[in-house]
Amino acid sequence: MNTIIGKIVSVESNGELSLVRMTSAGLKFTSIVIDTPETAAYLKPENPVKIIFKENEVILANRADCSISLQNKMPGEIIKVESDKLLSKLVIKTPVGNITSIITSNAVKQLDLYLGKNIVAMVKTNEIMLSE
Amino acid sequence: MIDVKLQKKLKAAGGDLFLDVEFKIRNGELVTLYGKSGAGKTSIFRMIAGLLNPDKGRIDVDEVVWLDTEKKINLPPQRRKIGFVFQEYALFPNMTVLENLKFALGKGRDDLFIKDLIDIVDLGDLQYRKPDTLSGGQKQRVALARALVQKPEILMLDEPLSALDYEIRNKLQVYILQVHKEFNLTTILISHDISEIIKMSDFLIELDHGKIIRQGIPAEVLTNHKISGKFQFVGEILNINRQDFIFIITVLIGKEIIKVVADEDEGKKLSIGDKVLIASKAFNPIIHKIN
Repeated sequence: MNTIIGKIVSVESNGELSLVRMTSAGLKFTSIVIDTPETAAYLKPENPVKIIFKENEVILANRADCSISLQNKMPGEIIKVESDKLLSKLVIKTPVGNITSIITSNAVKQLDLYLGKNIVAMVKTNEIMLSE
Repeated sequence: MIDVKLQKKLKAAGGDLFLDVEFKIRNGELVTLYGKSGAGKTSIFRMIAGLLNPDKGRIDVDEVVWLDTEKKINLPPQRRKIGFVFQEYALFPNMTVLENLKFALGKGRDDLFIKDLIDIVDLGDLQYRKPDTLSGGQKQRVALARALVQKPEILMLDEPLSALDYEIRNKLQVYILQVHKEFNLTTILISHDISEIIKMSDFLIELDHGKIIRQGIPAEVLTNHKISGKFQFVGEILNINRQDFIFIITVLIGKEIIKVVADEDEGKKLSIGDKVLIASKAFNPIIHKIN
């Protein structure tokens, strides 16, 4: 589980859903949740919030400028690579802290990921959970 | 509304304990008292039932004073409308199931209600059997029916299911919830089983050393932190398997067995038997109509 401490910038609600925009170490984050400020009091601008996502939801890309729908992008340097038969675990040092990604070992080979390489870690808006 | 204020010095295994609690229970609610042994749960039960006198206190039930130490009011147990179920069944061994229920009702009282009770807790086929021919779960169903014979307003359950295995416990929980709703009871439960508490109770009161330390909606109190994921379950770890950089954790949730993937660092902190909260976003699971 990756946990980043962020700050809420805005909460845009429609029915039961809210799109929450956050910031942490100058990076922007968005999450969509089935909650509103009425059902979860902490969903207010300026409030601190934990931004939570699983290791296997962290997508890695070699370039940040690619046209892609993912809203949460964390540039960083690979500081650890461990590979097993099917899966590999990578730790990326980013401005918001170390982020762990678990991807297939095939993907590590295809993208030519190695220690010290600069890459971008990304997470889909609907994969991010929030907690007080 | 049950309004309870109690104070009493108790002798506990670890020394003296000063019990000092104040809480309200709304009619029709199922409330659980939770806490370590020696926290004062059973003493509170006994004081509400009139089996133990507090040093100081007051108990109002729907504005009827059951106890007021200042005004020296103290209704005897038989005048407090309470039904009890304990972990041990305490049935009369020489009487059949039906005779046990009739005995609890008292002589010359209308026993039509007993037939209803027998139907509700499915004792029809067992009513002419004696307790020692019944399984633990069946005995506890008889004990539950017996507690309701006098039509109590309050049902008090002191760890009624802790001696039973998982499957039977699950069935009994359904029976208890059924009678709780059917007879519009206010029910107070003592339980240590987190999934049981979350499944059954509307409200949780956590005690420690004779004081209330937390209270609220069970899932919120017991899971500590609120997390936005709406796909949440409480379960028990059955197995932990390490594979590549992940742990595959097998969890029993209700009667279903599921598997969850955990990271290495998380997996190392978990053990078989741990109670866990599983959370995912409502966006992730797919839904598939079966019939």
